[in-house]
Amino acid sequence: MTTAFGIITATDRVSRVEGLEDYRPVGAFSFIGRYRVIDFMLSNMSNSGIDQIKIFTGSNPLPITEHVGSGRQYNINSKRGHLHVLFSKHAYAYNLYNTGITCYKDNIDVIENMPQEYVVLAPSYMVYTADYAELLQTHVDSGADITMLYQPVDTAREEFLTNFTVTLDKDRRVTNFELNNGAAKARNIFMDTYILKKSLFLVLIERALKTSSLYSFANIVADNVENLNIRGVSHRGYLASINDFQDYYEANMRLIDFDTADDLFRKGWPIYTKTNDSPPTRYLDTAIVKNSIVSNGCIIEGSIENSIIGRNCRIERGARIKNCIILGDTRIGRNTQIENHVVDKHVQICNIKKIVGDADFPGYVRRGDRI
Amino acid sequence: MKPNNMIAMILAGGRGSRLYDLTNKLAKPAVSYGGKYRIIDFPLSNCANSNINIVGVLTQYESIFLNSYVTMDSRWGLDAADSGIYVLPPREKAGEDLNVYRGTADAITQNIDFVDSMNPDYVLILSGDHIYKMNYEKMLREHIASYADASIAVIDVPKHEAGRFGIMNADVTGRILEFEEKPKHPKSTLASMGIYIFNWKLLRKMLLADSKLKDSSHDFGKDLIPQMLRDNRILHAFKFKGYWKDVGTIDSLWEANMDLLDPQTELNLNDEGWKIYTEDTNVLPQYLGPDADIKRAYITQGCEINGRVTGSVLFTGAIVKKGAQVIDSVLMPGVVVEEDATVTRALVADGVRIGEGCIVGKAGSEHITLVASDQVLSAAAREKETEKEKDTTKERTVKK
Repeated sequence: MTTAFGIITATDRVSRVEGLEDYRPVGAFSFIGRYRVIDFMLSNMSNSGIDQIKIFTGSNPLPITEHVGSGRQYNINSKRGHLHVLFSKHAYAYNLYNTGITCYKDNIDVIENMPQEYVVLAPSYMVYTADYAELLQTHVDSGADITMLYQPVDTAREEFLTNFTVTLDKDRRVTNFELNNGAAKARNIFMDTYILKKSLFLVLIERALKTSSLYSFANIVADNVENLNIRGVSHRGYLASINDFQDYYEANMRLIDFDTADDLFRKGWPIYTKTNDSPPTRYLDTAIVKNSIVSNGCIIEGSIENSIIGRNCRIERGARIKNCIILGDTRIGRNTQIENHVVDKHVQICNIKKIVGDADFPGYVRRGDRI
Repeated sequence: MKPNNMIAMILAGGRGSRLYDLTNKLAKPAVSYGGKYRIIDFPLSNCANSNINIVGVLTQYESIFLNSYVTMDSRWGLDAADSGIYVLPPREKAGEDLNVYRGTADAITQNIDFVDSMNPDYVLILSGDHIYKMNYEKMLREHIASYADASIAVIDVPKHEAGRFGIMNADVTGRILEFEEKPKHPKSTLASMGIYIFNWKLLRKMLLADSKLKDSSHDFGKDLIPQMLRDNRILHAFKFKGYWKDVGTIDSLWEANMDLLDPQTELNLNDEGWKIYTEDTNVLPQYLGPDADIKRAYITQGCEINGRVTGSVLFTGAIVKKGAQVIDSVLMPGVVVEEDATVTRALVADGVRIGEGCIVGKAGSEHITLVASDQVLSAAAREKETEKEKDTTKERTVKK
C-alpha cells in the first residue's frame, strides 16, 4: 500500500488579511462560526487516512497550537498517528526571507525521518474538501513526478489574484505554472496542493535554496515544469482561497446558502473541530433570525439577517445585524445597528448605535474593542 | 490532578418505563435532554467539576448504548492518568450464578471489590437520571465538618408535593432525626435527592450485613438509611438550592426541556465555571433559512430551520422545512419535520420524520403527545396506560 504523510502550510502565501491577521495566521481564523480554517485541511487528511501530519506555521505558532492541540479531535489515532506543529527556528527580522523553503530547511530532519514514501502538501489558508487517498492513487497510476490539484474558474479576472494558475496540455500535463495575472476570465486556479515523493520533495528544497534565498516551493516547481512530469487533477465543489479581507468575508457569506454548503460539507466527510462545550443557543421572544448561520452558546434577543454569528455571542434586544460576521464571545448591545462588518472576538458594542459599512467593502472591528 | 479520596458510584440501571418508547432500547440515563445532552452528562460533569476522578457507572437495563457512551471518559475530561469512568454491569462471579442488581444498595455490594481496589475514604452515591448542577466537593466538606457517618443531599420541595418524596426531618444543625418514605402527613419539606456520601469503611460493613437479610429490599432509601438511624448514626442533611429534576414521565421530560426557554431559569448552562460536557458531534452550526421564524427556542448545532419554531427545544440535527410549524414541542436528535407539517405540544423521538403536511399533537392537550419511532401515541391513549402501570423507575428492584 502506498502511504503518504501530510504537510499543511501557509508560509508561501504572499498576501495578507487586513485586521484579522494581526492576531493569528489564516489557518486559525474562525470560519462560519464553528470552525477554524485549518480544520478543513486537517479533516481532509484525516478522512483520507493520513494520520502523520506536520503543520508549518511560520512565525506565530501559538493560535494554531492552541486550537489543534494533540490532534485528538481530528480523529487521528493517538498512538500510531501524530500531529506536529512546526515553526521556523530562525525567524528572520526581514520577513521576505521567511519563506516556506527556509521553514522546511529548519526542520529538514523531521521531513527526512518520515517513513512514508509520499508527501501531500496542502494549504492552511484554503477551504475545500478533497480525498487525498484518491489523489494519491491517481498520482501513482499516472507515473507523474508531481500531481497538482486545481480548479477551473471563470472569475480569474477579479478573484484568486495572488494564486498560481496551471496550464495543461491534452494529456493533463502541466505546461505552464505562473501567478494569476488577471488577464483572462477562465483559468485553472492551483489549489496549492501537491503530491510527490518525499525524496523529490527534499531534492527540490535543496535546489530552491541554491537558486535563491527568496524562493518559494512554487517557484522551484515552476522552474522545473519542463524537466519534470507534472500533472494536474481537476477539483469540483466549493473552493475559497483566503488571500485578503474581502476573500475572507465572501468565503464565509457564500456558505449561508444551503446549496453552497452542500458543495463543501459532504456526506461521510465530517469536518472536525475543537469542541467548546457550549450549550445550545437560546432565542428569546423578540428574536428575528433569517438566512443566517448561528453557533452554539449564544443568547439572541435582537434581529439577525444574512449574517454569521460565532460562539457565545449575545445579541441584545433591538440590536439589528445585517450582512455581518460576528466572531465569538462578542456582545452587541441594545438597539445597536451593524451592517456589512466583520466584528472580531471579545468585542462589546454598546454605546455607538450605528456602525454601517459599504456593502462592497465591509468594515472591521478589532479584537477586544469596547465601543 | 489531586484527588479528594472520594469516588462516585452512579446508579444507572433504571429503565424509566413511563418514558415509553424512548426507553425501549435505551436506559433512562442515556435519554437525550436539552438539545445536545444526555441526562447522565449532568452527574458525570458534576463529578468532573467537583474534582472526583474515579466514577463507577452501574448499568443494568438496556446497557449496550449507555456502556459505550460513558466509556469515552475524555468527553468529561475524566481521562487523566489517575482518572477514569468504569462501567460496572452485573457479572458472573466464581462460585456464584450471575446475579442481577436487586436494589440500589445491592448494586454497590456486588462491586465492593471494585471500590476496595480504589481505596477511597468516602463513596458518593448518585443517580444517573437527575438533571441538576451540584458541587459534590462542597457536600464532602460539610460531611467532614459535621463528623457525619453519612450525608444525604436534600432539597426544599413545595409542601403539597412532599408526599411524593422521601422526607428528612432534621434538627437545626442539619442532623437527620427521622426519615419517612412518601409520608401522608409530611413533617418537613426536605426531600432526599438520592445523593449520599458514606464513609466507605462503615458502608462496607453495613452492605455486607444488609446483603444477608432475607426481608431487605437492599435499597439505600428503604433499608440502609433507616438502619443507620436505628443504629443512632450521625446522618447529615446537605441542603441543596437550585434546579433539580427527576424526569420520570414524558410530560416531565418535556417540561424540563421547556425550562431551558426561560432566560431566568435556575439551570444556567451558559456558566463558564460549571460547564456540562457531552459527546462532541461533528455537525454544522445552526442553519437558519430565508423563511425561518424563530421565537422562544433552544436550538443546537446541526439544526436546519426554514419554518416557524416557537416555544420549542430542537436537538442535534433536527430539520424544520419551509412552511412547517413547531410549536411548544421537543424535537429529539435527527427529527425531520417536512414541508407544511405542524407539530404542537409534542415530544418527537430520535430520527422520526413527520411527513409533508402532517399534523401532530394538539394545543391545550392535557398530556404531551409522544411521537415515537414507528407510531403516534396519542395523549389520550397514553393516559389510559398510565393508570394501568405503576411507576417502577425510581430505586427499581428487579426480582429474579
